[in-house]
Order: sequence, then C-alpha cells, then structure tokens
Amino acid sequence: MKNHFRFLGLLCASLGILTIAHAQTPLDGLMMPKGEICIALQYEQVTWDRYWEGSTIRVNQNIGTFTKQMGMPMIVGGITDKVNVILSLPYVKTAASAGQMAGVQGIQDLGISVKALFLEKTIGKGKLTGFSNLSFSTPASNYLSDYMPFSLGLGANELGIRAIGKYELNKGPYVRASYAYLNRGTTNAEREYYYANGSVYSSTMNVPDAFQSQLTLGSWLFNYRLRVEASLTTIRSASGDDIRTYCMPLPTNKVDFDRIEGFAQYYFKSGGKGLGLIASYQQAISGRNMGQFSGYGLGITYQFKAF
Amino acid sequence: MKKYNYITIGLLLFTFLVSSCVEDLPTKYDFTGYQYSNLDANAGQWKLILHTSNEQISIPNPAAAGSPELLKELADAKEIQKKATSAQREAVGYWTNNPLLRWNEIALELATKYNLIPAPNPDGTYPVPDAANPSKYPKFPYSHPPYTSRMLAHLSVAQYDGLIMAWQYKYKFKRQAPYQLDPQIKSSYENNGLFSYPSDGAVIAKASQDILTAMFPLEKEFLAQKAQEHLESLIVAGINVSSDVEAGKLIGTEVAKTALARASTDGMKNAQTTRAKSDSIKNAAKERFGWVWENQETPQRSVGLVPLFGKVRLWNVPNVEAIRPGPPPAPNSPEFQKDAAELKQYANNLTINQRRIANFWNDGLNTYTPPGHWNRFAKEEVVANKLSPVRTARVFAYLNMAIADAGIACWDAKYYYHYPRPIQTIPGFKTILGTPNFPAYTSGHASFSAAAAEVMAHFFPANAGQFRTWAEEASMSRIYGGIHYSFDATAGLTQGRQAAAYSIAMAKLDGAD
Repeated sequence: MKNHFRFLGLLCASLGILTIAHAQTPLDGLMMPKGEICIALQYEQVTWDRYWEGSTIRVNQNIGTFTKQMGMPMIVGGITDKVNVILSLPYVKTAASAGQMAGVQGIQDLGISVKALFLEKTIGKGKLTGFSNLSFSTPASNYLSDYMPFSLGLGANELGIRAIGKYELNKGPYVRASYAYLNRGTTNAEREYYYANGSVYSSTMNVPDAFQSQLTLGSWLFNYRLRVEASLTTIRSASGDDIRTYCMPLPTNKVDFDRIEGFAQYYFKSGGKGLGLIASYQQAISGRNMGQFSGYGLGITYQFKAF
Repeated sequence: MKKYNYITIGLLLFTFLVSSCVEDLPTKYDFTGYQYSNLDANAGQWKLILHTSNEQISIPNPAAAGSPELLKELADAKEIQKKATSAQREAVGYWTNNPLLRWNEIALELATKYNLIPAPNPDGTYPVPDAANPSKYPKFPYSHPPYTSRMLAHLSVAQYDGLIMAWQYKYKFKRQAPYQLDPQIKSSYENNGLFSYPSDGAVIAKASQDILTAMFPLEKEFLAQKAQEHLESLIVAGINVSSDVEAGKLIGTEVAKTALARASTDGMKNAQTTRAKSDSIKNAAKERFGWVWENQETPQRSVGLVPLFGKVRLWNVPNVEAIRPGPPPAPNSPEFQKDAAELKQYANNLTINQRRIANFWNDGLNTYTPPGHWNRFAKEEVVANKLSPVRTARVFAYLNMAIADAGIACWDAKYYYHYPRPIQTIPGFKTILGTPNFPAYTSGHASFSAAAAEVMAHFFPANAGQFRTWAEEASMSRIYGGIHYSFDATAGLTQGRQAAAYSIAMAKLDGAD
C-alpha cells in the first residue's frame, strides 16, 4: 500500500529541478502508475553577475546582472506501471541589467523523454530501484543560438541516455545517483565563418556532448506529503573551446559546472493525487564558460487518474 | 531477463550516440591546384606598385638545361619526391599551385585570432597593446578592421610586386619546369608549362612569411614552420628544383623589406592616440559641429579605436579630403529623426531575414573583419576563374589597397565629424550587435564593402551585380543591427566607391588588360 502511493507521489515528483541551460531532462527515481497523468507548470529564474571565461572569473559591467527566466508547462504520463513519458516545452526570457545588448524571449526546446523502471528489489529495510531514461529535445522555434549569453538555448538536438539508481528506506529517507550521456547535434549560426581554436568556414557549429552526474539525498516526511532533497550535479562537456578574452560565448564552448540544489515538494493530499507545490533553489559552485548562477524555482502540479 | 534486454538496448544506443559525435567542419577553402586559364606571359611588364623596375631585385643567372648543376638538382628533386613522407604529400595538396590563396587564408586566421578588444583593468582604465612588448596583455596586435586592412594591403602588394618580378625572370630565362626537363619527375598539379626559375611559390612563401611575421610578431615560429612546409612542397610537387626556390626566396625577402619599410613609416604607429590627443580631436568636433561621440561602455573607454588612422598614408587616393563626405544631419534635426525612427522600427520588428543579414555581415570581434570577408570572396572568385598566380596577386593587391584607402578615408570622417552612435542618441535603445568603439559617421562596413565590391566588379564583371548587392546588404546590416543610421551607410557606400575609383584607375593603366 505504501509502495503504491509512493508511486503516486512520484509522478509529480519526477519533475525535479530544471537545468536552466537547456530543456529539463527528468532525473529522478520516481515512476507514475499506468493511467496517471501529472500536469505541471513551473517557473524558474536564475541570475548571475559574474561568469567563467574559460576557468577565470570575469565581471562585465556591460552585462551587469544577467537574468534568465523560464516558464515551463510539463506533462508526465504513466503509459504502464513501468514506463512513463514526459513532455516539456519551456518559454525562456533573457535580459541584462546593464549595457545595450537586447535580451530575447521565446519558446525554447521541446523535450520528450521516456523513463523505464527496470529494477525493483527489496534489500534490508528498504528498496533498490533502477531506471533508465532516454530523452530527446529539439529547438521548437527558430531562435538564434549564436547570440550567447542571451540565446534561448543551444539550438541543437539533444539525445540523452541516463541510468538512475535509488535506494529508499521504508521510513522515507533515500539516496539517488544518476549518470547521463547527453549527445548534442549541431546548431546553425547566421554567419559562415567563426573561430573555434582556429578557422571554421561553415555556419554549422558543433555543440559539445556532455556527461551529467547527480547525487541526491532526500527524504519523505509527514506521511509522504512532503519530499525534500539536496543534490550535487556536475556537468562536463566532452569537447569544446573556451570563451576568448572579453568575447561573447559560443555554442561550441566547453561548458562545465558543479551545482548544488535544494528541492521540496508538498502534496495537499496524502497519496499524491490532486494539487502539489514545488520549490527549489540552486547555485553553481564551480564552472567553466558559463555564468556563476544562482536561482530558484516554483511550481504547481496537478495529478489525476486519466485512464 | 528483461533487465538484460534493457542493458543491451542501452549499450547499443550508447555506441550509436558516441559514434555520431562531432561533425568535421571545413577549416579552409576546399580547392585543389588547377590549370591556369592564362599563363599571363607578359606579366613581367605589368606596372609594379612599390618598386620601379621589374629587375630591381637581382637573382643569379640560372644553370642551363643539361648542365651538371641542373642535372644534380633534378636528381635531388627526384630523390626528394621519392622519399616524401605522407605529411609532405598532404602539404602538396594543401598548398596547391596558387599558394597565395593559402597565405591569404593564414592572414585572415591570424587577423581573427588577434581581433580581441582589450578588457578593462581592475581600476577601470584600459590597457593598450604594445608593439615593443607583444606578448604582454593585451597581446600585440589588436587586429581590428583598420589594422587588418593595412596588414592585408601590405601583404598583397608585396606578393604582387614579387610575382611581377618572378614573371619577368621566368620569361627572360625560360627555364623549363622539372617535370618537363625530366620525364621521371611528375608534377602533382596540372602541367601548366609555367617556366620555373625563379619559383613563384617561393616568392609567395617568403614574402608572406616576412610580412606576416612583422604584422603578427608572436606568430614567428608558426609562420616559419608554414613557410618551411610550403617551400619543401614546391620540390615534392615536382614543379621546382632547389635553385628555383632559392631565387624565389631572394625576391620574396626583398619585396617584403620594401613593403615593411613603407609600413614602418605610414603613420600607423601613431594611430592609437593618448587621452589628451583624443580629447583635443573630440573638442575640435564639438566646436565645429556641436555634437560629440562618447563611448558608452562601462567602464568607459576614454580613447576611441585608432583616432588617427585617418592620417595613415593612403595607397592610391591623393588625400582624405578628396573623398570626405559633407556633414551628417545634426542630432534631433528632422532628417536625423527620420533615420532614428527607422532604427526603432527595425529594432521592434526585425524579420528573421534582417537578423540573418545583420549577423552574416557582423564580422566583429573574434572574426576576420569586413576586409577579411571580402578577401574570402576574392579567393573564391579567383579559383572559379582559374586565375594564374600573378593575376591572382593583382586582384588582391588592388582589392586590398582600395579597402585600406576606404578605411583610412572612413576613419578620417569618423573622427572629423565625431558623430554619436544610436545607443548614445536614442534613450534606452537596445541592439542585437555590439556597438564598436568609434564614431558612427561614416559606416566602416559600407565604406570597406563598397570599395571591395567596385574592385571585384572591375576584375570580375560577370558578377558585378552580385558584388554591389552584397555591399549594399553589408551596409544595411548595420542598420538592422541598430548600430548605424541610414545616413552613415549611404555616405559610407559613396566614400568606398570613390576610394576604389582611384585604385581601379591605376589598375586600368597597369598593362595587364
């Protein structure tokens, strides 16, 4: 019984924390039962006033404080008890508090993700679960990626494959680890020459692939109505060049960062159905070729039995 | 069981993903050696630009065909060809039989590499590159558009004078190429039948190496390695023997010296001024016109980019005043208001195609600049028309003299009129392109591009319409990007065309047509 409503809670819990750099990819160790649907609306805002140019911190007063806001509708559906599908479509807005460069806004990338439960085993006083996840995202508007840091996204298709393992004690605390390989395609600039450790005579830009790993400690509280998590995420690009001195970043850059996050989700009704609320906070603790960001997220979820 | 299926599928997918990782993208223009459409046998008689006589640089008389010296050289060449490594053979393919195009490409890459604007010091001042200490931040040079235009002009002119002299000697001595003298030597390129003494490739290698080393001193070793590879490739390719190469190096070395002597006294070293000089230029404009351009960055750059570039020695235009436009409309005049309204209209309603045009022509920091962009077009046009090396050099020489003259005249107008940029005159105005650190009037993009387009139209009349359309598009790109008014663009186009007319007039009289 407990297990069952854990599943229910999980569904909306699957929304987790978003990576603002690109469309969300579901990382968590949760699964919705067949026929359940969760609809979520999330808002996230991150800001930075310093960024890593390569690995050197740069303050640029012509940017001031950079803000990226994202509103994202999302649907998670249980196709079977062991297979979930997740769809997301973020709307992004960027702006700088100083300087004269224009910010942009628009629809970013459509994300489609399938998560499957492949391992479920009781060990000691808890349960070990394993998931695999295949995600795909693709630009959903003709935004220009070669306009960083303002661009809405990387402008490239991304195929992600992920393994997630979780061990949860019957009393509620859990530990979760995930590891993902994110394969990025190319993006198109609106110029036919650029410099990436040398001349490139093409408008095509290779967006580096990346490895993402995450370690999470969390717990269910108040009879499974509240879930809290703390996690550490690392992103490492497999290739790419550094931002050149006092230059704009490029989609070809090697972007790395480590981020800590806090996350909480509250369900008004025990068992997960109906309304829920999400709040999160995230902060970059080290990085390369990206803003030293921090920010928060708020969301509302609604879960129901559809079929 | 099911678990293993998932794992298998996962592994297969992973393999597929990793294998489809990174797309190979072109790092150079993809072309090979070709049959010249014309050998330009009389090019030794064409008019030189920096030199007075086509035998001003003397080279030894070559050893005659059948002489022991030449037979020895041919035997050595055969041996070198036989023993060539795969890297050397690859180099033959890379350099082609029109290697000026590769040196031009190297010049553009270095222009890009060094096109980085100095970042502020912690105290809010800005450092300036120092030619005497090039490796100290900010590295020398800052290869901005004026610097790049001047670099390309000196490079191209040295190459051109060197090849005119090479052609003079080729047709004077009429030494046949190794692949003609010895049937066992094969040419890696089309058998053009061009006489081989002195080696035109060696002239280009040495002249380019020396000019670029002076222009980009930190690249000395890189350039020496490139030149070495190129010089070796001439013998591996079967088109030259060592005495051809040595004679070519003599000419290349000397033409580079002449061009660099000109560069050392052309006024460029004074172009980036002190704060005091910059202020006096600004105040002169304020008194004359009542307006003044101010850099809008934070911290503010107190000196604009090369305020005295307008005083740099011109190539073919007699003086900057000859093509200085009349004054722009005063800020807040009805004519100004009309163009400012147009900017706001574009900013709020920019179409995808207008955005594309703005970005396509941006050629800003960390790029080869507008002069580089037009050199790229010239390269492609040269290959399409299969021009001989000497006729190629002529195109680049006149193109880059015209571009440099247009830049100098444009910079004169910029600091004479000292006209504010849209982000200064229109409150709250935001742009999609970064506003450069120099006054608005006239538009550098318009001036550079119109000059380039006119020279290209003269040399390649079949595509004249295309080049002129591109120049207009380049000028419009700055308006779409929000960093120039329409009147900047119009005046810049006119100025560029006028600058080019002087170079084209010279080209018409040089004996090549």
